[in-house]
Amino acid sequence: MLKALAYIFGFLLLGELITYFFEIPIAGNILGMFLIFMALRLKIIKLQDVKPASDKLIKYLVLFFIPYGVGLMVYFEIIADYWMPISVAVIASTIITLYISAIIIEKLEK
Amino acid sequence: MQEFFQLPVFGVFISILAFAGGREIRKKLNYVLLNPVLLAILFIISFLLIFNIDFEDYNRGGKFISFFLGPSVVALGVFFYEKYEEVKQNLKVFLLSVAIGGVSGILTIIIFLMLLKVPRFIIESLASKSVTTPIAIEITKLTGGIPEITAGIVIAVGIFGNAFGPFILKKLGIKSKIAIGTALGTAAHGIGTARAFEESKLAGVYSGLAMCVNGIITALLTPYLLLLFMGSHA
Repeated sequence: MLKALAYIFGFLLLGELITYFFEIPIAGNILGMFLIFMALRLKIIKLQDVKPASDKLIKYLVLFFIPYGVGLMVYFEIIADYWMPISVAVIASTIITLYISAIIIEKLEK
Repeated sequence: MQEFFQLPVFGVFISILAFAGGREIRKKLNYVLLNPVLLAILFIISFLLIFNIDFEDYNRGGKFISFFLGPSVVALGVFFYEKYEEVKQNLKVFLLSVAIGGVSGILTIIIFLMLLKVPRFIIESLASKSVTTPIAIEITKLTGGIPEITAGIVIAVGIFGNAFGPFILKKLGIKSKIAIGTALGTAAHGIGTARAFEESKLAGVYSGLAMCVNGIITALLTPYLLLLFMGSHA
């Protein structure tokens, strides 16, 4: 578990380091996700070395974003003024995304 | 008493307690709108309002919880590697679906909000609404929006997709479980993926992968698409 955590945080740090030095407009953790995937594909690291930590983190992923959700209370009045256009736009956009994504597979799947 | 609530352990404890409570309620009453995260957030907000506690005080502890979003995104890379083999057969079609679906998600939300004359900072906060919360939050930090607004709407999108996604898709004539799974992951991230797993194991795997791929696509494109439609900040 300790080794797995070290790998996860190591790749996170690597991602942050690269965005810090090269000023790429992408978050360090997203870069870390890509790098750990590549490292696994290229067999630089082994799945069983990282899996104990990654499984646990994914299991509790939703717990980790609760504080941001609570933070919505600070902006409640601001977005309350726009709740109608926001709801319409978000629902319409989500249905379109769902449909376009699904119809491509439905038509082309083997 | 206010000083007591400023102790970080308060924010940490109430977050864990609310989440555990939300999960218990969901287990007892299996009703889709009773999403554990939604329940936890509503409970904590109510508690803070009733006891007149500032969000900043709660977040002294809350930020220890949300810190783990960073490593969790890295963990998604491991998940992706693990499940990658299972989608190999349909890889090209799958990637095409997520890419086009994902881009249309960003474009339509920007265009609709612009047409409805919603202020710029809200558009910047919502452009990444389809992707998993930790990635959406990072995108919003880069685009100049407000991450808390992003988190709230992203969770709402997930619950919408979870509750109505498969129903809407079936009404629109979609039959393939793989199509439904991919669409749920692309449009409604992890909360949609939870529903995809209820449709079938395979649908769930496709959904989880679609969530990761769309996270990357959206992270790469959103800043540029916002710039293209709205110009740079004055």
